[in-house]
Formats: sequence, structure tokens, C-alpha cells
Amino acid sequence: MNKALTPRPQMPMGALPAPFHERIAAENFQHSWMNWNGYASPGVLDTAEFEYFAIRNQSTLFDISPMCKFRIKGPDAEAVMNRMVTRDVRKQKPGRVSYVIWCDEDGNVVDDGTLFRRSEDEFLLFCQEPQLLWIKDIAWGFDVEVTEVTHDLAGFAFQGPTTAATLRDLKIKEIETMRPFDIRDIKIAGKKVMISRTGFTGDLGYELVMAPKDALSVWDAVYAAGQLRGVRIIGYEALEMARIEAGFLLPRVDFISSQTNLRVNRARNPFEIGLGWLVTFDKPHYNGKRALQRLAGVAPKRKLVAIEISKDKAAHHALVYHRKTREVGFVTSALWSATTKRNIAYAWLEVPFGQAVKDDLWVEIYLQREIEWQRRMERVMIVERPFFVHPRRTVTPPLNF
Amino acid sequence: MSETFDAIVIGAGHNGLVAAARLAKEGKKVVVLEAAAEVGGLLGGADPVAAMPFGINPKIASGLGLARHGLRYGAPMKTLSFGGGERVEIDGSVARGVAPEMATNYAELHRKLTRYSGALAKMLTKAPPRFRDGGLGDMLSMAQLGLSIRGLGKTDMRDMLRIILSNVWDLCEDEIGDGPLAAALAMDATLGGAMGPRSPGTVLTLLYRMASTGSGGAGQRSTPISGAAAVVSALTKAAEASGAAIRTSSPVARILVDNSDRAVGVALEDGTEFRAPLILSNATPRRTLLDLLGPQHLNAEDVARLRHMATNGMVARIDLDLAELPEGLSEADLGHRIVVAQDMRRIERALNAAKYGELPTEPAVEFTGRKTDAGWRLAALAQFAPCNLKGGWTKAKKDKLAKATTKAMEAVLPGIGGKITGWDVRSPADLEATYGLTGGHWHHGELRIDQMLMMRPFAGAAQYRMPVAGLYLCGAGAHPGGDISGLPGWNAAGQAIKDGGAK
Repeated sequence: MNKALTPRPQMPMGALPAPFHERIAAENFQHSWMNWNGYASPGVLDTAEFEYFAIRNQSTLFDISPMCKFRIKGPDAEAVMNRMVTRDVRKQKPGRVSYVIWCDEDGNVVDDGTLFRRSEDEFLLFCQEPQLLWIKDIAWGFDVEVTEVTHDLAGFAFQGPTTAATLRDLKIKEIETMRPFDIRDIKIAGKKVMISRTGFTGDLGYELVMAPKDALSVWDAVYAAGQLRGVRIIGYEALEMARIEAGFLLPRVDFISSQTNLRVNRARNPFEIGLGWLVTFDKPHYNGKRALQRLAGVAPKRKLVAIEISKDKAAHHALVYHRKTREVGFVTSALWSATTKRNIAYAWLEVPFGQAVKDDLWVEIYLQREIEWQRRMERVMIVERPFFVHPRRTVTPPLNF
Repeated sequence: MSETFDAIVIGAGHNGLVAAARLAKEGKKVVVLEAAAEVGGLLGGADPVAAMPFGINPKIASGLGLARHGLRYGAPMKTLSFGGGERVEIDGSVARGVAPEMATNYAELHRKLTRYSGALAKMLTKAPPRFRDGGLGDMLSMAQLGLSIRGLGKTDMRDMLRIILSNVWDLCEDEIGDGPLAAALAMDATLGGAMGPRSPGTVLTLLYRMASTGSGGAGQRSTPISGAAAVVSALTKAAEASGAAIRTSSPVARILVDNSDRAVGVALEDGTEFRAPLILSNATPRRTLLDLLGPQHLNAEDVARLRHMATNGMVARIDLDLAELPEGLSEADLGHRIVVAQDMRRIERALNAAKYGELPTEPAVEFTGRKTDAGWRLAALAQFAPCNLKGGWTKAKKDKLAKATTKAMEAVLPGIGGKITGWDVRSPADLEATYGLTGGHWHHGELRIDQMLMMRPFAGAAQYRMPVAGLYLCGAGAHPGGDISGLPGWNAAGQAIKDGGAK
């Protein structure tokens, strides 16, 4: 057979193959690829809905290798991390993960991420935006080594109700004692794996990180073990649906990093985003602390809120009105949530709307039906985040499904 | 046990002493902690680094009653510029020894620059306004600068705005032509900084220097009778007369911060602690914030701004011992400022070498002198001598600079080389080591448009208040900056008194 004529999966121009590319490409019937941090990342492999239901009912593999990853190691590692993020890192024990945000000097959010404490003096930070220079600026004058390990670590999210049963089949005893946000060092297919009980779906799930050279062996072992429990490889679209339900926010979609905004009034602080619960003042100085203390004392001008919308049409990019006339905000992420049977979204609303004034709010939804556009005004209810979280997410030991 | 005061001043340079004197005069219990064995900083000692200081600002001199404490100024210093031909003598707006046309043009230029610097001078005696989150007072103070420039009249205002960010080379070429006269002006515009006559912004530094002057009038240095030491002794007496305690050989190791994020005191290297709700630092911005306070109390953005502050010192101080004076130089001349730079071109060339970490073959020099038991001692400043000299400041490099300096002097004062019996070079690196002066930079940081006014020492830290409450910057790193005016110390003390050091 002429090798040059063999059909090859399409990829975005110039994107790098991620460590699991061979396996994902083989199943990517849509040839749908996105560029995520320079890597080819699947948008959807088969059908977004099937992949989404696999997250909620079975188990799923999603390549998270393109995430930005950093190692912070040295005697001052704890001091540097504590100086960077708004939570108290001194309370985070080795072997634990925490969800963190960090702010600039004005108290605006730079990025969010997951902070893995590997030992007393070593952390791994996973996040969306390139942060090497930021971390190095934070660490200036401290005895610590900051290295970017984005390309040195491969990883995938293994999420869904049947994940624990699959890992049990693989004889991973450690999962019996792992509580949410715990980290363990295990072996799968004889390869070293860092496993954490974390994820982006609001459900039972794990994230597995390993050396790129071991990536395929680990993936293959998990994929093979999960066959009878419905394991599927998924793309970004399905994950996006699950993350909206689970109440997670996405930089560049729901808010903009203060490192990337061009217009000065676009940066957002944690109190506006609804992440005030991640901000503590009961620790020494950290970046933006003085500004955050000022901001904590004043009412924010706008807030990101969770809303539920009447009927079933997702309110993508919709404007929000008060009394159907006055424009008071806009929707960032929207979804008809098949699991909760609710029409959900996140919206930025000007204060007092969504706070003191919760009645008579409407979204204007545009629908295209065979070329023709229709406009619908639907009622908005202010609700709590998350829209979906399952009790099995936290049960330890995890249950078999 | 720690002693408690109303205010602690770190460093007994002239600005530290001015701040201490003003605070003490306002009834504060003040202690000044000086690392060295004697007070005065760059003005201290028999051969001070700043041998030709500008006058202490008249407002400060009268506010602190410095005349009562022995500070009296003689006649303003003239500038004598040697360019190989006839010596040029500059006394304010009068230039002698140049062609009549050039003298007329110079007088016109000097009068013009004096008017412009007057508009700028209003900004120097007060805290700079804030751009962001500024109050009404800040807006008024900004408006006042605008008005004072507008007050020059339409023609002058347009002309000032046209030249203020340009360079002194173009200005002098346009108005008077190159030569020893222009070189003397260019020396004033560039001395102490890493800028040559052709660097943008050197008209601003010239105006700035003319604005920050004392009793002698725009741009003229005034020598205190009995020398620079008189400034230090008058300030010391003024501070002590109001009750300030001055402790020498007391190097501060760190600034203490409490749990509520306030600076509450300092610890000396020997561990002794002093407590006060107001801490004013006469040290450089970098030394104050990165060494004494520590980056753990600062946002990363401010740490980066401090790291990137332009602070590469460019002036070497050279003492030259002479058995006797050469022909063409009289004892009376030594009471004045003597410039050795034949034209602006040579000053610019001297910078070219320094930009790349080399020593110039023909440094631009200014000096004054005094009689000693053995003969004469010239106090010279040679530029450009970069702190970050390639290969470091070895003895060989210092000798090389001293030789190049004497050679440059020999070219315009024939015979001076043969009369030199010894030299002592203090490089910017020496100044850094001796005085804790970051980069050996006189002004604690370049006086450039991006490090001036509300941007001094860096954006977000103007108005003397540092990021940690209770900590103030009172040295040349704060507005209005270098030269011996005492204004940073005066303004910082005013700000600290205004804030009151609330506990």
C-alpha cells in the first residue's frame, strides 16, 4: 500500500500532537480539532451528546496534557505559593489539591487553577494561561525553583460514575481511601502515575498525570479496563456542557484574565466573579491583598450570577433586560441541561439587578430556524451555583456503578 | 526592649536630616539611624562626593532656620568652561570669552530657560499629584502646573512644550552653537545621569536642575561659606535643636511590619529594635523596599518596577593632588565650577563608551578645588563612568580613568598633568559599597520623564507613601529627586505629618 495515500486525520495547522494523539485520532470520526495551547485537542469525536451522556452515566477520557503546568520547588515553595494565591496555602497538606485563584495588584483575577501539594517543599500548578513569568515575578527574592513542565507531563481526566469501578478492576487499592482532592502515587501498567480525585464535571472522577513516554501504556490500560463500563473518549464540547452544569467558570469565556484584557474596565475581581469565598485575609501579605481588602468593603458594580431561563432554548450570547426594556447584562455560558432538565446560564448583571432586584428580568434569545431569525423574550430566575452536583462525587470509598 | 519614638528616619544624608528636622520642629519625637560613623551621606567628610552642591531650597533654609545654625552662602559660583581656546566664563545669563553674537544669544536662551524652569519649580516643593484615584487636591495641583505653564503666555508655552522633551544638543545647536559654552550647559543637563546631550529629555533635566536651585538663582550652585560641611552641620544642629536624636554607626537591617500590614519599627544589624508609627527612609527605593522591607511585603508588580528602575550610576569622583596650580588656573578660579569639555560632541562620545560598559578615552569633567597643606586638591567629577563597568572596577581601571581624566584636562590646561602628585578615584561601585547607593547613582535612580513626578520612584508609589502603611521614602529616589535641595526630605516629612502616623 502506498503510505503517502493513507488517509490521515486532519489537524489544525501547526498544532502539535498531544501525547495521546494516536489514540484520539483513531476515534475522531468528526476530524474536529481545536488548537489548545498549541496542541491538537479534540472538539468532538463522534457526537457531543453521546459524549456528554457518557460523562454523566459511564466514564470518559479527556486529554488535559495541553494545560499549562508548573513546578514550584524549594525551601520557600510554600511562602511563594501563599504569596501568589488568595487562599491560605499553609493549610494545604502534602498530598492534597486545592482550587485556587490569583490576583494582580489591583485585586483583579489573573487566572485560576489547581494546586497540587506534592510535599512540604514542592507544588504543581495546573492552569489555563501561560504563567511562567508571573510565577517568576512572584518568586523573585525567594529561595525556590520555578519550572514550566507543560511539555514534561502528560495527563488525562477520567470522569464519570463508573470510573471507580474501572480503577478497582485495575487493582488500584489507593482509591478506597482517597477523598475528593486527595493525591496518590500509583502504578498502572507498571508505569508511575499521579492520581488525584479531582475534575471539572461535578461528579465522581479522577485526573491522572504521568511522563509522556508512559502516556499511551496508561491510557491503553484504562481504556481497555473500561470497555464493559462504557468508557468513551470525549472532546471539548461535551466537557464544556458538564462544566457549566458543575458550576465551574472558564477564563476567556466567563471572565477575562487581567493579564489579557485590553480595555481597562474589563478586568474582574473575585467578589464580582462570585469567588469571594476563595479570598482570605487571615494570612500574611499576598499579591493584591491590599486592593482586595478595599474591594471587600465596597459593593461590586456588577456580578456574575447563575440563572435559570424559562423554556428550553439555550440563551447563548443573549442580552439580559429588566422589564423587557432596560439592558442590564449579558449571558456568557449557556446550556439546556439534559441531566437537570433546566435551561441554565451564567450572566453578568449590573448591580442591583440579580442582587436586590431579582424580578422582571428577561433574556432576549435569537433563534435561527432554516435561515429565518426569531426573537424570544424568556423569563430569568436567579439561582445558586452549581446546577449539578452528585452525592457520589464525595462518597468515600467510592461506589461501583 | 525597644525604644519608642514618633518617627524613625533611616539614614542621615541631607534629606534624612531635613526630614528629621521638620518632624522634630512639628513636635515629633524623632530618631535618625545612620549606618556610617558620621552624618551627611554624599555631603559628609572632608572631600564629599557632592563637592559642588546646589543650595538647600530657600523655603527649607528659612523653615528650619538654617542661617541661625551657621549656614551662610557666598556669592553664587561662576562656571568656567575650558575648551582649549579662550576660557569661557559664565555668570548666570552673562557669558564672557565667546563671540558677541553667541553671548547675546546665550543671554536670550538663559532668560528663556529661567522662565520655563520657574513654571516647573512650583511642582517641586509639594507632593506630586496622583493620576489614579487622585483627590481634589491632586487635581488642583495638576491644574496648577498646567496653569503655570499657560501663565508663560502663548508663545513661551508653545515653545516650552516644543523643547521640553527634546535634547539639549538640538537646543544649543539651534540657539547658540556648539563649543565650551554649550558644553557647560550640556554638562548641567547630563551630569549624574546615563544621558548624553543627544538623549531625549535632556532639556527637561536642564530645566529641572535650573528649577531646583537655591539662593543663587536659576542653575547656579551656591557654595556655603566653609564648604559642604556647613550644610551638614547646620542641618544636624537644626534637627538636634528641635529634639531629634541622631545615632551614627547604627545600620538598619530591616523594617518591621506588624500583622495589620503597618510598618511599626526597625531592627538594627545588632538586633536592637526601635518602634515608631512613622518610618522615613533616606535610603534608595530599591534598598528601602527590597532589602530593608523585603519583597514578601510587596506586590510582584512593584517588585518588578523596582528591579527595573534605571539606576546605573555614571559619575566617578576623583580627587587630584597638585603640587602647584598650572598656568591659566588661579586660586580664585578654584572657588568656581570648572568644566573641561571642549564641546557637546565630546560629551556625547564619552557616553557612547559607557553605554557598552567601557570607559571613555576622553571623559567630560567638572571640578572645583581647595588649598591643602601640601598644595592643592581638585575635587573632580568625571563622566561617563558606568557602575556596571565590564570586568569590574579594578585598580587598573581606576588608574586608566584617572589618566584619561588628566589627559582631557591637559588638553585645555597645558602643564596640569605634570603637577599631579596623586589621585584617588571613587567609582559608582565604591559609592554603592560605601553609602548603600543602588548602582552608585547620585539621584537614587535616573531623573527621566518616566521616573519623575508621579512616576517617582515608580508608578503607584509616588507621594512618598510606600505600599506598607507608615513607611515613607524621603531620599532622592522620591520626588523631586536629586541635587542637594533637601526637597524630598522636606516634602516626605510634610506628607508623614499630614498622615499623622495613625496607629
